[in-house]
Parts: sequence; C-alpha cells; structure tokens
Amino acid sequence: MDPMAAIRETFFQECEEQLAELEAGLILMESGAAEAETVNAVFRAVHSIKGGAGIFALDALVRFAHVFETALDQVRSGTLATGPGVMNLLLRAADVLADLVRAARDNGVVDETRTAALVVEFTQISNLGHELPPAPKSQPTVCAPVPTWHISFTPTPALYAKANETALLLRELRRLGPIEAVVDTTHLPELSEMDPEGAYLTWNITLEADCAEQAIRNVFEFVEDDCDLEITAAPPAEPSLKPGDIITGDNGFSFEFFPPPVFDEEEPPAVPEPEHHAPPPSPVVRQSPVEAMAAKAESAAAVSATIRVDLDRVDRMIDLVGELVINEATLSQRVLEAGIARASGVAMALEELEHLTREIQDSVMAIRAQPVRSVFQRMPRLVREVAAQTGKQARLVTEGESTEVDKTVIERIADPLTHMIRNAIDHGLESPEKRLAAGKPAEGLVRLTALHRSGRIVLEVSDDGAGINRARVKEKALENGLISPDATLTDDEIDNLIFLPGFSTASTVSDISGRGVGMDVVRQSVAALGGRIAISSRPGHGSSFTLSLPLTLAVLDGMVISARGHTLIIPLGAIVETLKPKAADVFPLDGEINVIRLRGGYVPMVDVAASLGYSDEFVELDQSVALLVEGEGGVRAVLLADAIHGQRQVVIKSLEANYRAVPGIAAATVMGDGRVALILDVDVVVKTTRSELNRPEPSVLEAH
Amino acid sequence: MDHIHPGADTLALPPILNLTAAAALLENLLTLRGRPLSLNAGDVQRLGAQCLQVLLAARAAWAADEQELSLADCSEDFLTTLNLFGVAPKSLTYCKELP
Repeated sequence: MDPMAAIRETFFQECEEQLAELEAGLILMESGAAEAETVNAVFRAVHSIKGGAGIFALDALVRFAHVFETALDQVRSGTLATGPGVMNLLLRAADVLADLVRAARDNGVVDETRTAALVVEFTQISNLGHELPPAPKSQPTVCAPVPTWHISFTPTPALYAKANETALLLRELRRLGPIEAVVDTTHLPELSEMDPEGAYLTWNITLEADCAEQAIRNVFEFVEDDCDLEITAAPPAEPSLKPGDIITGDNGFSFEFFPPPVFDEEEPPAVPEPEHHAPPPSPVVRQSPVEAMAAKAESAAAVSATIRVDLDRVDRMIDLVGELVINEATLSQRVLEAGIARASGVAMALEELEHLTREIQDSVMAIRAQPVRSVFQRMPRLVREVAAQTGKQARLVTEGESTEVDKTVIERIADPLTHMIRNAIDHGLESPEKRLAAGKPAEGLVRLTALHRSGRIVLEVSDDGAGINRARVKEKALENGLISPDATLTDDEIDNLIFLPGFSTASTVSDISGRGVGMDVVRQSVAALGGRIAISSRPGHGSSFTLSLPLTLAVLDGMVISARGHTLIIPLGAIVETLKPKAADVFPLDGEINVIRLRGGYVPMVDVAASLGYSDEFVELDQSVALLVEGEGGVRAVLLADAIHGQRQVVIKSLEANYRAVPGIAAATVMGDGRVALILDVDVVVKTTRSELNRPEPSVLEAH
Repeated sequence: MDHIHPGADTLALPPILNLTAAAALLENLLTLRGRPLSLNAGDVQRLGAQCLQVLLAARAAWAADEQELSLADCSEDFLTTLNLFGVAPKSLTYCKELP
C-alpha cells in the first residue's frame, strides 16, 4: 500500500473514533449531564476531523465540519444556548458529518440537499443565538490563553440623552467574549445633590476575546463622541516570567521561576533550588510553558495505549490456540491411555500445561473481546431517524455499553438489534397523542441493556409502549392460517407467534419495519449465533425482547455424552442437572412421547439418538442417563443418553462452513482422540418435543 | 433576601427603570430618606444605568444616615442586569452594624 493511502486509511479510522466521541458527547449534552470538558471534547472531535479532511482536500467535509465547528464554538463560549432545538440540530449534524466521512472514504455520494439544509439551519440558529441571553453556566476552561482586553468606559449625560444605554452596550460587548464589569462609583454625588439624568459612573471592563481592537470599537461606534473610552490589550500574564527569573516576595524570600516540567525532554525535570545563583536549568525553551503543556496534553490524547492489529492476525492466533487446546486434549488422552499414574511428573506437568493453555485461550479471547459500545453507538441515530419517520417521540437509554463480547458476536448482533429497535419504535411505542391519553409522557422510552449473565451476554430491548396486542396477534395468526381457530394459546404462546415467518402485527405495512423482514429473521440470526430470544409483554406497559448470546463463538464448555456409540457435546449452559431415571417415574403419553415425573411436574423426554436418527429404538431406561436441559424461554426437557463422559472445553468448528447446516446440530468440534464430535442444538431438540406433544398448531408453524 | 426591618417603609420599584424613571425614583427616595427602607424589585423588567446610579447613591445616603436599606423580591431580570453592570445586589443594601 502506498504510504499516502495508509495515512488516509488511518485518518478514516481515527474519524470513526472521533465520530463515536462526538456522538457520545452530544448525547451527554442532551441529557444535561455534560460538563465543560464534554463540550470541549465534542468541539475537538469535529475540529480534528476538519483538520484531517483538509490535508486530504476533502472539501465538502471541511466545509460542513467548519460550519458545525463554528456552532459548537458558540456553544462552548456560551453564546448559543443548548436547548432541545439546538441539540437536535447538533445531533443531526453529527449524523451528516458521519455520512460525509463515509462518503469520502468510500468515494460515495451524499445527499447534498440535506447537508445544505443543515448549513442553512446552522446559520439561522447562530444568528438567533446572538439574541439569546447567554446561558448562565460556567465558562469552559480553555487551554490556550485568550487575549484579554481592558476597557474603561465613562458615559456622559449626552449618551443617555440620546437614548443610548450602557446595559445594551455591555450586552453587545458580551457577544465578543466573556466580560467582567466593575463599576466605579467614585464620582457619585450625594443623593440629594445628584441629577437623575446625569452620568457619574465609570465601568472598567475585562473582556476575554480573541478579536481585533476594532471589533470592540465597533460596539461603541454610535456613542464614541458621548463617552470616554479607553481600550487596552492586557499583557499576557504568564510569559512575563522567564525560566531563571528570580521572584522576591514581600517577606524577602526569593525563589526562582521554573516552567512547569515538560516531560518530552530527555532529562528528568529539574528540582527547583532556592539558591539565587542557580543556573537556568532548562535547555532551550521553544514554547511558552502553557503552550507546551497544551501540546503535551494533545499528544497524550492522540497516542493512546492501544495498537491497531489486523483482524486476520488475531483470527489466525485464535485458530492456533484452538489447535493448541485440541492438541493438549490429545496429549492428555494419550497419557491416560498409557496408564501413567496421576501423581507422576508427566501428569503433573500436563496439568500445568492445561492451566496454561486455558489461560492463553482466555487472554486471546480477551483480545477479541470488545465492548458492545460500538454497536450501541449506532442506535441513537437509528432511534432519531425512525422516530422522525413515524412521527413518534422516542428516547433511547442505553445501559452496560462497556459489556464485552467477542468481536464476531458484536458484528452479528448489530442487525438483529437494529431490527428490534425499529420494531420497538414502529410497533411498540404509541403516537404522542395516544401516549398522553394513556397518561404517559409523550416521549416514549426505548431501553437497550447489555449485561453478562452466567457466561452469556444478555441484550434486552424494551419499550414503554402499549405492549403486544394479543387479540390482534391471534386474529392475524388465524387470518394467515397459522393457528387453528379452536386453538387455546397461553399469553406467552401468543406473544411468541410474532416470531413466525411472514408475521406482521402492524395494520399498515410501514416503510420502517414492514420490509418483509419480520421477527422470524431476527430469531433466525440470533439462533445462528447460538443465542436465544425471549419476549415478555405487559399490555399498556410495553414489551421487552431478551437476547441471550454466547460470549464467544470460538469455544464452548460442554458435557461430553455418548449415544449409540456417537460422541456428542451438550452445551453446559443448557444443562440444569443430570439424573438417573426410574421406570416408575416415566409415563407414556399419546404417540411416542414419554414424560418423566420430576419434583411434582412432568417433563417430556427425548432420546438423543432417536431424535438425531442414529437409531429407531429407544434406549432402555435402566441403561441410560438423563440430563435435564433448558432451552429458549425456559422450556425444559429431559435428554436420554447412554453415558456421560465428563465436562470439557471444546473448540467450536462451524459445521455450516465446513459441511452444511444439520438440524439439531449446532456445530462440531475435534476431540482429544482426533475424532469429530457434534455439538447438540438443545433448543431445536427441546422444541421438537414440545411441538410433538399436544400442540398440533405450533408444529404447523415450525414446518415453515 | 435581606431581612426586612419590621418598621421599614417599602418602595416598589416600577417595571421599567429607564432614563425617564430616574427622576421619579430619585424623588421617591428623597422623601423616604432617614427611615429604614425596603426596596421591592420583584416587578423590575429593565434597569438602566441612570436608575442604577440613583440606587447606588441611595445606598450611600442610607449608609450615611445609618438606616437600613434592604432589597426584597428581586426579579430575574433585575439580577441579570445588575450582574451585567458588575454590581452585586449586596452593594445596593445597607445593614446597620451591631454596636
């Protein structure tokens, strides 16, 4: 790759980071939790993008970033109040900026009219901003010293007689920058002697503004003849002291001035000494101390403690570690077969190797682990856009952005999440009028949460909308012939109907959700990740979709079982307990299904070998072991197998990628003895029992 | 808000304290002089520099007379403009020092 292209690529990578920072900062500002530093960070993000874009002559990007930056600068200086309107504009501008960056990267095109419309809005709002009183907030700290002006202003009675007013002049002045006025009342006469229309006051004003003297004079343009006006640029405070200067205090104690330590110098920062004769310790001082500090802070921010590594390299390492795990298992097996005693040196060393392998594996997995933030960050924009399209008001609250999960999982949850959030706004939330009528705030709430729970990541999308209209869902299912009219379904079962292919609850097919992609697609893509989706809904209070996904797609803790001579792995997360079935507890149900009595309840039994077609005959109860497993939505079943061989961590090898998808099988792995073992898809197996039971209606659906 | 003296007169400041209001304000203040006074600024929408100087002079006069001068019910606009002028509300009031 030619060096320029590489730099360009880095620039766009950095842009993505800046955009993420920008979005995060703006959202913080919107929520009112922003500090001065947040506004600064937002400003810097746009400023950096503009700077980089300038180098690559990305004119459209530079132009827009400039307008955006100007507005942010006004916000920063307090001349533009960040009301809801302004925040909305800033957020939309962030979206457009992201589009422009991506268009520049991919040589794509952007919607020019949208950009132009925003620029117009910015112009309007910044003009408006001047008329607004500045927000009474603390001034953000600015790194670079801002020039200070001293203005002495003494109006004469003529000024007031001509209907001019000091307050207005001060307000005008404040537009240039923060001011601090001190009124001088020295010439104020006794109350009884004063002329109410006289002019006795003088104002000494300190103005912090990076502007020309003329700009200040322009403020007083119309009153120049009717006042005494003195404008002086205040000398900068810091540079008056040079390194090595001796400062003598009132008490006669002297010390030498040293600049703040600048850490990029080779030698360690010198320690101040009280002696007068100390030689100037600092080498050549190229910058003023303040500048040096500011530059240092910036470079520190730019060089964070991360490296960029090609994903391919990481993937290759993960593959190799996977092989190492398999190899280690093989070695263990061989040692076991050789009949070496457990206490022997070889076995001990092997155990250590096992620990080490496990640790390496965890560390490698941690490299790939990323916070879900990158996915979550895309969602506020989605919410804004969908809300705008549907005419609803929606606010997104995210929690647990820093929850880490494997990169492959992150990449593949974005689409299901996008779809679920679209659905939550389009179908879940009511219109503002309906919400108000129902006694809810007009603005709907969509909550996106991520958390770790027992070795899995759980993502939840919930809304405070109307909840699932069960009557409507059932009606629709009947219409489409998905259920028979005499079917009696529990609330939960009705809710789950929305996962059926081609099901849409909205009366009108909308642009947003009704693209022929239903919740069934979401469920499929979640299932492909080894995940589960569950729904819960309360009429009038909203619905919540819960996704439970494995943290990684590379390794799995599983129970090794055998069924008719075939070795199978059952994911440990699905297993509730193991038991030895007693014939007295087993009852045949109609057809070929048996149920087992378990602590007062009845759970359907599945012969693993029979369900996978290894054998037509059922395993004898007294020669089998049973595993109580729990599938999606808490549905339980008892799996029957010949034997349990133990618990093991296995490396997942995709069956789909290497062979083809097999129903009932989630993936494959290579065992220590080199043989391939299949990993059971518990959800599918459990569900077959459920549908084979007394629910002919859902089985119709499953067949789709 | 300052403590209002129980026996103090109250002067309600008009909403617009501009150039034309200064003379009336001064006159009012002069008639109330020599007694504790509470200024009610709750209705003030605009405050000009000339009324400000009358108020500043009044404060000096009340201080010279050792009479209490207090402010009650300052409107938002009144406080904002005072701040712009660089005048603290405190410098418009006088509280007799305890012996």
